[in-house]
Amino acid sequence: MSLLAARGATLRYVDHGKEHFAVDGVSLEVQPNEFLGILGPSGSGKSSLLYLLSGLKVPSSGQIEFDGRPLSQMDDTERSRLRLKEFGFVFQQPYLLGYLSALENVRIAEMDADNSAAAVALLNQLGLGEKLHRLPHELSGGERQRVCVARALMGNPKVIFADEPTASLDHRNGVAVVSLLNQLRGEGSLVMVTHDETMLAEADRVVRLVDGKVSD
Amino acid sequence: MRTRGGEKAGRRSNPLAPITYLLRNAGKTIPLTGVIVLAVMLVAGIISMINSIPLSIRTIYSYSKEFTGVTPRGDATKTLPILEEIQAKSPYAIDRVIICRVTVTEIQSIVGKWPFYFIGMNDADTRYYLQRQRVTGVEGRLPRAGLPEAVISRPVAKNLNLKIGSEILGPTKEGGFSPNSVKVVGIAETDRWLMLSSIEYLREYHFPPIDLGMVSAKDPAEQPKLDQWADKHFKGRQAGILGYFQVEKDTNEMFATLYLILNVVIGTLVLVVTLMMSMLINIYQGQRLVEFGLLQAIGYTKKQILTRVLTETVLVVILGWVLGLFAAFGLLNLAKTVMMDPKSYALDVLDPVAYAYSIPMPLAILAVAAGTVWWRFRKFDPIGVVERRIV
Repeated sequence: MSLLAARGATLRYVDHGKEHFAVDGVSLEVQPNEFLGILGPSGSGKSSLLYLLSGLKVPSSGQIEFDGRPLSQMDDTERSRLRLKEFGFVFQQPYLLGYLSALENVRIAEMDADNSAAAVALLNQLGLGEKLHRLPHELSGGERQRVCVARALMGNPKVIFADEPTASLDHRNGVAVVSLLNQLRGEGSLVMVTHDETMLAEADRVVRLVDGKVSD
Repeated sequence: MRTRGGEKAGRRSNPLAPITYLLRNAGKTIPLTGVIVLAVMLVAGIISMINSIPLSIRTIYSYSKEFTGVTPRGDATKTLPILEEIQAKSPYAIDRVIICRVTVTEIQSIVGKWPFYFIGMNDADTRYYLQRQRVTGVEGRLPRAGLPEAVISRPVAKNLNLKIGSEILGPTKEGGFSPNSVKVVGIAETDRWLMLSSIEYLREYHFPPIDLGMVSAKDPAEQPKLDQWADKHFKGRQAGILGYFQVEKDTNEMFATLYLILNVVIGTLVLVVTLMMSMLINIYQGQRLVEFGLLQAIGYTKKQILTRVLTETVLVVILGWVLGLFAAFGLLNLAKTVMMDPKSYALDVLDPVAYAYSIPMPLAILAVAAGTVWWRFRKFDPIGVVERRIV
C-alpha cells in the first residue's frame, strides 16, 4: 500500500468570474522511503499539488489519502496534528523565527518535546554545529535553509515536503541542500517540487506537471 | 551545552513559551507595557489626588465626631434650654455638656482656604475636650482665661506654619480677625485639627454674643446616634444641630457631580488608551504574520497560536498593570512627602477606590486584544505566507 496518494485530486479556483484549475485530476502515489520529484514550469500547479498532498489545502474534488485514510475525513485539528507529527516542510524561503536561535528554530518542529539533543545532532550533521545559538540574521541564506531542513527532519517524519527549497539559493548551495535532505531523511519519503531538473538528480521518480495535469 | 537563553541542551523547555517572545522582543514589549504603566499610574494618581479633597474635609472636621454641636439660631436665650432638653430626653447617656463661644478663621487646603472654628471654652472643659480628641500631650501650655491665647493641634500648626508664640488671630490677620493679637501658647499632639482659646476671651472680644453648646455621649460609639437623635428631635425648631454626619452628607453631595465628571474623564481615558493599545497590538501582530503562517503550516493549530498570543497579551497587561500600581504608589508617596505632608493635607496613598478605578483599563485592553487576534485569525491562510503573498 502506498504511503500517500492523490486520487483525481483537483483544485479549482475562480478568478474574475472565470474558473481555473490549479490542479486538474491528478492521481499519483508516494511509496515509503521514496524520493518523488514533481517537475514543472512556473504556474504549472506543482506547489498547489504539494499543498494538497500535505493537507495544507483541501481538494475541490478527488481525494488525498495518507496511510489509506482520506484527509477529507480529518478535521482541521487532525490535519494540523498530522502535519506536525508525520510531515516535515521545507518552503521556498528559509522562514525562521527571528528571535529564536538556530537550535530553537529546529526544536519548534516538535511541540513540548524534550528534543534539544536530537536538534543538536541534526544541526551538527548539517554542518551548523558551531552556529547552534546564532539568530537567523547571523546566518547566511544557505545556512538558514539548512536550519529549515533540520526543522523538517525533526521527529523523523514519514513524509518531507519540499517546495522549491533551492529557490532562494545559488546552484551550488541548492544542490547541497537537496543532497543533505535526501541523505538525512532516513526512512521518510521526500516529495520535492521544483522547476529545475538538475535538482532532482537523486530522485527515485519524477512526475512532470503541465497546466495542473500530470504530463506523462 | 548552554543556549542563548541559558537552557541546557536536552532539558525540557519550550522555545515558543510566551515569556520567551516577550523577553526577546523587548523593543515591542516595553512600549506596550509602558503605555499601560503610565495609564494606570495616571488614573490611580488622579483619583487619589481628587479623593484627597473629600478626605481632607473628613480629616479636618473629624473633631466633630466627638460632640454634638448645638446652636440656638441667633437667640442667645435658647442655648441653655436646648442643652437641658437634650440632657433630659436623650436616649443615650450624656458624658458632658460644654458651653462655648466660636469665631471663624481659615485653614489652607489643597484647593484653597477653608473655614475653621476657633472655639473658646473654660479651662476644665478644654482639658476634657483635648482628652476626648485623643491628645497625647501638649507642647507649651493651655490658654489662660480672658487672655488672647490659643492652643492648636499639630496638623494645624503644620498647615499654617505656626509655632509657639506665633500669631493665629489678630487685627491685621487676613482671614482671622481679632482685635488683639492672639498668640499660640500650646500645641497639642493629636491627628485631629483643633484651635482652642478661653471662652472668656471670645465673650469679651468676638461677635456674635451667643453661647453655643457641645454635648458628648458617655460611650463615644453612641455619638453618631446622639447626633442623629438630636437632629431629628429638634427638626423645625429654633435649634441647629451640628454633627459629623452632616460633614459626610454635605461632602457626598458636594462631590457627587465631580465624581460623575471624573467617571466620564476616566472612561474616556480608558477608551483612548485601549484604542491606542489595540492599534499597537494590531501593528505588532501584523509584523508577526510570517511567524503565525509558518507555525500553522508546519502543524500548529489556530487555537494553539491564538492561545499563545493571548497569553503574551495577558502577561503584558498584567505586568503593565502591576507596575502601574507600584508606579502610582511611588508617585503618590512622593507627592505626599513633598507636597501634602508639610501642609498636613490628607492623601491616602493606598486609596482602594483609586486602584479599583485602574481595573477597567487592563480588562478593556485584554478584551480588545482578544477581539483583534480572533478577527485576524478568523480567515488567516498560512499558504499566503509560505507563498510569500502576504510577506
